[in-house]
Amino acid sequence: MNTTTPRQPDTQQGVTEAKPGKYLTFRLGNESYGIPVLKVREIIRLCPITPVANMPKHVKGVINLRGKVIPLVDLRAKFGLPIAEENDRSCIVVTQIVAPRSGTRLYGVIVDGVEEVANFLGSDIEPTPDFGGSIDAQFITGMAKATDGVKMLIDLDRISAADAAAASDIL
Amino acid sequence: MTLDPFVAIGQAHNLLQKLGLELAFVDPLEENGLDSVDGLVRQLESVLAQTPEPIPTALLVARTWIDERLQTDGRFSATTIARFLVWQPWLDAAVNAWEDLAPIPTLPAVWLESIEPQSVTAASAPESQQAELNPNAVVKVAVPNTTIAAALVASPTSVTPSVLIPAAGSEQTVSVIPADSDVEMLQLFCAEAQDLLQEIEQGVLVLEGNPTDAGSIDSLFRAFHTLKGNVGIMKLNFLQQLTHELESLLDAARQGKFRLGRDAITVILGGADILKRFVAELANQINGVEPGRSIALPIPAMIASIRSLLITGSIPVDSPSVAPVPVVTAPSAPLPPPAPKASPAATPVGGAGIVRVDTLKLDGLIDLVGELVIAQSMVVQNPELASISSAHLSRCLSQLRGITTELQRMAMSLRMVPIRNTFQKVARLVRDLAVQQGKEIQLVLEGEDTELDRTIVEELSDPLIHMIRNSADHGIEMPDARIAAGKLPTGTITLKAHHQGGFIVIQIQDDGRGLDATRIFAKAIERGLVSADHNLDRRGIYDLIFAAGFSTAERVTDLSGRGVGMDVVRRNIEKLRGKIEIDSRAGEGTTFTMYLPLTLAIIEGVLVGIGEERYVIPTLSVRESFRPLPGMVTTVHGRGEMVNVRGQLTPILRLGEHLHTPFNVTDPTQGIIVVVESGQDARCLFVDELIGKQEVVIKSLGDTFRNQTDFAGAAILGDGRVGLILNVNALVKLQQARPVGDTAV
Repeated sequence: MNTTTPRQPDTQQGVTEAKPGKYLTFRLGNESYGIPVLKVREIIRLCPITPVANMPKHVKGVINLRGKVIPLVDLRAKFGLPIAEENDRSCIVVTQIVAPRSGTRLYGVIVDGVEEVANFLGSDIEPTPDFGGSIDAQFITGMAKATDGVKMLIDLDRISAADAAAASDIL
Repeated sequence: MTLDPFVAIGQAHNLLQKLGLELAFVDPLEENGLDSVDGLVRQLESVLAQTPEPIPTALLVARTWIDERLQTDGRFSATTIARFLVWQPWLDAAVNAWEDLAPIPTLPAVWLESIEPQSVTAASAPESQQAELNPNAVVKVAVPNTTIAAALVASPTSVTPSVLIPAAGSEQTVSVIPADSDVEMLQLFCAEAQDLLQEIEQGVLVLEGNPTDAGSIDSLFRAFHTLKGNVGIMKLNFLQQLTHELESLLDAARQGKFRLGRDAITVILGGADILKRFVAELANQINGVEPGRSIALPIPAMIASIRSLLITGSIPVDSPSVAPVPVVTAPSAPLPPPAPKASPAATPVGGAGIVRVDTLKLDGLIDLVGELVIAQSMVVQNPELASISSAHLSRCLSQLRGITTELQRMAMSLRMVPIRNTFQKVARLVRDLAVQQGKEIQLVLEGEDTELDRTIVEELSDPLIHMIRNSADHGIEMPDARIAAGKLPTGTITLKAHHQGGFIVIQIQDDGRGLDATRIFAKAIERGLVSADHNLDRRGIYDLIFAAGFSTAERVTDLSGRGVGMDVVRRNIEKLRGKIEIDSRAGEGTTFTMYLPLTLAIIEGVLVGIGEERYVIPTLSVRESFRPLPGMVTTVHGRGEMVNVRGQLTPILRLGEHLHTPFNVTDPTQGIIVVVESGQDARCLFVDELIGKQEVVIKSLGDTFRNQTDFAGAAILGDGRVGLILNVNALVKLQQARPVGDTAV
């Protein structure tokens, strides 16, 4: 049995380790990702997207969520995954993020399919391994071991902050 | 009589709260305060009879203090108030501790001294004693309040003014947020204090015109009194003295012992300014701007000048500026000395039943109403519903539409405030400027009741003040110069607001020297803003003053003339989606006209289509739109396309290409050209089609899109999709570097 206390993060670029708790897991291409379930506002079907010109390619545009205009990002483009055709499992996870300037905001994420809400103990979560700089791991807060594979836990606050900070860096 | 402990605790809390209030309002010179405090302490004694030590001792201490005052003059002394201000929180804490079965705090040792020597008098109470108890209180309390009373009733010679007046300009550094304070209470305090200070400023300005207006004096007195109370509740002891002195000054005026001359008004305004600075800083710190920072306020100096005014100012001979004394000298209309409610504008009567609402809630409500309007139009325009031919249904739908429209109108009006407050600020400014520069300026306000969006009013304040400064500083001439020019020595600045076709128009008009087109042009050439051979008409030249880094003032004053003014003004107005125009006649004056939208929440837009996408162009920026005829569009070699709009060559921006969105029309004669303008510049936007005109609720695009400049926001269109609102200012100023397609006609 592993130790019950979460391991201290092997801090790389100040990445904090993900906290144990419930995570919503979803698929992007062939990989599984997870975000804290408390960040999830709702899950909706794909809806008409209004593209916004001259933005990084992972920013798909904006959508109308019952009268609110919220940005929509495609994490596959962000993480450099192959863009899969949209299927009937594709959906939008509407999350609530904390933006550095405007406080709490809604943020839509296109995913290839939602898996489940899983409870990860501290012992399930391992710090992000060092990929030797070949992979940009700054948005991954930890790797969770589940029965059907490893889920990458990501920090959406940081992703959105990076978008806002410098569009040119991401391009 | 024994009380159930729980009942006793409840009652004790109640009484302590009342005592706190009483203490906050207590006035060392008034007799009634002591009686009520005495009564409350008596009740506390009976309620808390069954409590463990040291609560009974504390009550005994309080009794001693009260008895001591009752035995002397029956009034509160500053020392006693200071003691009770410490005693009340202590007892509160003690009762709390008793309730929680926690150890009761020990009694401050200095209090025990009060009970041992029973005959201690207030005067001999050592000041170091208070220093230990409440360091904040010391500065203020140590100053004997009675001197004011003495100054008022006794002859001036009985008090040596030099003793009272500290060195001019002395400041007191205060920490802004009181320790262990409740943020919510502080917010309430701030909001109320801001209102009161506003009221004070307005009242003072009325008084300046009519120094004996009893209504205004009363309202000022009440406002300072309330402020003093609030300051006391918030334990902002260092302000208490100041508010108290100001209150005394007005009280003297109210009782006819003192006449409010120009000096007095300057002093009152100065005092209000100190309070305003403090409240502004407090509000900032509550909102997280450098919390805990201390600021220096000239409180002691101000108190000194109030006092010296009270002592010496009652004989208004020291300065000629105090001369206007309407009671005696008013030649044409002899006013009766107590002019009750003389001016209707004096005190805006506190509206019956006004509710303070958190702006966040209000914005939430307005958002929801906006969504409802969209949902409503989606229902009404639903093709499936349209196929049902039922008179009943269409009646219901039109009723729904009517109600939603009314609801929207109502919700929007919630955000609307009259521009009066901003105009009042200007009144104050003009007064100060006139005094400072030795000019005579009369300000005429028109349409103060015009309502516009709260955010606009807030954002408008700075540019407005700047323009007024310009008018007063550069526009209005000195009295002798005016006379030499055959004008009245008193210059007039007119500030008016009115509605005009869905916009608010605000005009600033002065009858000063006007803009000198040749001088402006020469200056602009000198500054390298235009070349000498530039061909500009009069308006074009006037517009140069909006260019960054332009200033024609020969001498730079601290008011205006640093050359960073008008371009900022224009930017601010444009940020509000408004525009500004100038008109001027040399020697006759200048008029600035601002056109502003009624609200920031809704704009009227022209809906254009490019491929599948639709975009909104704010109507205010659209000059015209047309389908070009063959031959109107020319390709300028290597630089892009131009269209000849009524003799003016205007560059074309193909929106579809610029926005990288698929478009259907490439031939200019098959599409539509929308001429948009920003300031003096114009550009032709080439789009596929013109869909129509629509009012849309503006939504922010948020942080994610902060770095793009193409769009100013988004709106939900009738079919529920999001339409983007074009940022016309950015598009017009866009560099023409983009290579253009090879199509030409």
